Amino acid sequence: MDQMLDVLCSHDKHHKDGDGHSVAAVDHGSIASRPAKNQLHEAGSNGAPSSTLGKEMTAVNVGVDELLANAGYKVRASELQQVAQRLEHLETVLGAAQEAALSHLSTEAVHYNPSDLASWIECMLEELAPNFPVDSLPHLHSFDQSAQVSGCLMDDPQACGRQNQQSHQEDDAHSNIVDYSEEFILDYEETQYGSGFNDHNLNGIFGNICSLEQLGRKREAGMKQGFELNAQGMHQREQKRGKHSITQPCAYSGSSQEAYSQTSDNPVVFSSVYGSNQASLRPMGSCIHQPTLLQDGSDGAQESGVRLVHLLLACAESVQRDDLIAAEELVRDIRVLAAPQKGPMRRVATEFVEALARRIYSFNSQDTIGNQRDSLSELLHFHFYETCPYLKFAHFTANQAILEAFENQKQVHVIDFNLMHGLQWPALIQALALRPEGPPFLRITGIGPPQPGGNDVLQEIGVKLAQLAKSVNVEFDFRGVIAAKLDDVKPWMLQVSQGEAVAVNSIMQLHRLLYSENSATPPPIVEVLQSVKSLNPRIVTIVEHEAIHNSPIFLERFTEALHYYSTMFDSLEACNLPAQSLELMLAETYLGREICNIVACEGAERVERHEPLAQWQMRMCNSGFQPLHLGSNAFKQARMLLTLFSGEGYAVEETGGCLTLGWQSRPLLAASAWRC
Amino acid sequence: MESTDEMQLEKAKSVVPLNTWILISNLKLAYNITRRPDGSFNRHLAEFLDRKVGANISPVDGVSTMDVNIDRVTGVWARIFIPVNFQSEESREDKIPVFVYFHGGSFVHSSANSAIYDAVCRSFAKLCRAMVISVNFRRSPEYRYPVAYEDGFTVLKWIQLQALTALGNAWLPSNADLSHCFLVGDSSGANIVHHLGVMASTADLYPVCICGHILLMPMFGGMKRTPVEIRLDGQYFVTIKDRDYYWQSFLPEGADRDHPACNIFGPYSEDLTTVPLAPSLVLIASLDLLQDWQKEYVQGMRDSGKKVELVVLEHATVGFFLFPNTEHFHRVIDAISSFVKRSI
Repeated sequence: MDQMLDVLCSHDKHHKDGDGHSVAAVDHGSIASRPAKNQLHEAGSNGAPSSTLGKEMTAVNVGVDELLANAGYKVRASELQQVAQRLEHLETVLGAAQEAALSHLSTEAVHYNPSDLASWIECMLEELAPNFPVDSLPHLHSFDQSAQVSGCLMDDPQACGRQNQQSHQEDDAHSNIVDYSEEFILDYEETQYGSGFNDHNLNGIFGNICSLEQLGRKREAGMKQGFELNAQGMHQREQKRGKHSITQPCAYSGSSQEAYSQTSDNPVVFSSVYGSNQASLRPMGSCIHQPTLLQDGSDGAQESGVRLVHLLLACAESVQRDDLIAAEELVRDIRVLAAPQKGPMRRVATEFVEALARRIYSFNSQDTIGNQRDSLSELLHFHFYETCPYLKFAHFTANQAILEAFENQKQVHVIDFNLMHGLQWPALIQALALRPEGPPFLRITGIGPPQPGGNDVLQEIGVKLAQLAKSVNVEFDFRGVIAAKLDDVKPWMLQVSQGEAVAVNSIMQLHRLLYSENSATPPPIVEVLQSVKSLNPRIVTIVEHEAIHNSPIFLERFTEALHYYSTMFDSLEACNLPAQSLELMLAETYLGREICNIVACEGAERVERHEPLAQWQMRMCNSGFQPLHLGSNAFKQARMLLTLFSGEGYAVEETGGCLTLGWQSRPLLAASAWRC
Repeated sequence: MESTDEMQLEKAKSVVPLNTWILISNLKLAYNITRRPDGSFNRHLAEFLDRKVGANISPVDGVSTMDVNIDRVTGVWARIFIPVNFQSEESREDKIPVFVYFHGGSFVHSSANSAIYDAVCRSFAKLCRAMVISVNFRRSPEYRYPVAYEDGFTVLKWIQLQALTALGNAWLPSNADLSHCFLVGDSSGANIVHHLGVMASTADLYPVCICGHILLMPMFGGMKRTPVEIRLDGQYFVTIKDRDYYWQSFLPEGADRDHPACNIFGPYSEDLTTVPLAPSLVLIASLDLLQDWQKEYVQGMRDSGKKVELVVLEHATVGFFLFPNTEHFHRVIDAISSFVKRSI
């Protein structure tokens, strides 16, 4: 099946070349049997350069050691000697201090961005030998995204770990978490969302919500348990920043600017070279990610699964060619084949074939799925949140970063780009309540779409959050901002006060802002990011799908989405839901809407324009933001969260200071943090 | 006056290229801070520090990769590396052998999608012209002996399934020759190769046929301390203490290093004379402190009537093959290619 993808990739290239060669029955033959003229090492068919070119750019412009880069480490070739010296020195220090030092590095220190070897080593030296004259060693380049991408002069935010002074959790501390607290139940009696909703407790938030009494007791005991969001790290990092600042002009200013402008039509290329360690090995183009589509199980099931994928791709290919007759026939075949199937493959196939049908029959655009923000979609969102760990991961990781950014701030203001049910905030409120320095005055501004029927849903959520805040003695204020689109929200509407620390939180919202009618009009994302900047936020937390679902070429988009959602559906299996259960069905329907939007819609209606982390990183850097790295503490807590809430197979990975959550080897969601 | 630490560092630096030295030292450091003195293991930090890379069906440097589920229940998956043929002169129907690869990491570290092993497998696929199936087996200390061996066996049965049914047709390159499979591994992965080879020798795997074992710096050991172990302890990235730690975390609780998983020809050895094992290629790095054990293994296999080809790489340390930047690397590729040719 993936065999076929290769074939289709190359055929797509032919398609672009104006080659009228059609792909009828896909050749099941070997890769080797394709015509030799397919220059398959020209990865991708959307103009992305081959990996060779990518490597040239790496070598010439950035000067990193290529072999180390392939191994996931960025070290400038000119600095190998110095990095080696630092490693040696660290080894000596460790040798002298023995177990205490090792234990400290292992247990207490927070590590950041291990790909940037020079920085990582330097941070550990700082931890262990704070009196060591770092300045005596030559300044080493630190691989900050913004420095690479835009050639700007900047301080180098050495993201160094700092000793975590609280007692550290053991790896098997989940037993502590389970014991932790009585769950605080938010009651949604008056919701309009339909029956069944009323009974849902919002206690799925890591069980970390407790009554005031228990809170008081625990504070007295001076303990921190369970999923505490660690409030260390970022503040000290900022203090250190001055000490370590490397204000050397970006070494590649000339050439990198040039390179950037050359590729400005396809900035994807650039990021694939300079981006996260993962991206550097993936030329951006079609068929980037690999599915774990081949499943074990009975021969029959696997074989039909493969055949289904084959047919789906053939159908998409027919649609690409505008051969709607062939496409319709294939839709019928697929429906027939899919019906008796079991397992995630059947459900994925069903979602995709229905999306294809919609596209073929050009359903009335008012009917388009995915663009609605109605009560059904909110219900689906809630179930998806409850069912599988993706949204929990997103919320948790963002909260951790926000908490760190708010350290020692007395007035804080969180702006949530899509409040929904406010599921993210109880945990943050409670964590703020537990701060050693005491809680700040917290404001939350929740943005949400207008509701049919005119209910002020935002206000209702706000009231609940206020009740919670009151119960844990956090001074709190809530404002709702109703807006159909994020670009309708102007900075003045958010009423940011002087002196308050602002956090902007966007969970899967930014990709909706990427459409523009023509090249003359910039997409709304530009304005929104500028607005965000104007708020001067201490932190911007962003979570997005780790996927390439925004290719203008339908077939590419379809293929990528097929891989992505197959993996997603696969992962739902590990959520311990009984097959055919309501929860599973609702989670799948939630995803099905995204699929439908990606496959059946175009233009302004196609809002699910997912782009991968490397591209978001570039966009943020180019808009003047600097990365705030997520470290080993957030990583560890994310992993622990997963063991609590889901089966095995979910994988948290660290890449270039960001965290991804995925299924087995395929990242599906990426979380990053930024500042101005 | 330099400390012994510094002298050791100088020594190691003089035998490997600087970037290799940085890589292996960095790995050593990362491993050090994840092994706890009480014998437990900091898995979270280990995974945080491991650099991973995704699969990519679009060929990168002549090799295309994809990840496949092997067993849903256990979560074992594998990354498949397929060399892309773009030389028109070469016959496209030339069969290519299959390498079933087990990565190193002392049974504890790394994964099939670790960047270092993705790179190694890509090299093997491209330069040895083989389809490589790199197994993401379950690791200790969470899963002890014999889980890794069993996961390897599961993969062999899976390959068999692909071949026997029409499944393989959909994705297997038609030039992949399953009747010419080689078990390949480095360090602990090479240990897996041996044991899996023994398991496979009595199993029905038709049409999968194991034509050879390729063991790169295999991880073996035993209770006694060999002269080389003592001499090279801590000299070239590896210490006796860390070897002991990893055996402790892999072997069954209560077992010692004379357990047959570790000490193949030790006091509890299995008699291999009647076990039909394919020929082996064993590659030893002369600066590897385990080489006495590795040579004992070679001798033991030969004494049991097995064909073993031995290649000793002078002045090579552990991990030298992780980068293709030394003569040793190319010698290894040549040795493997020629062994494969002769074993088919």
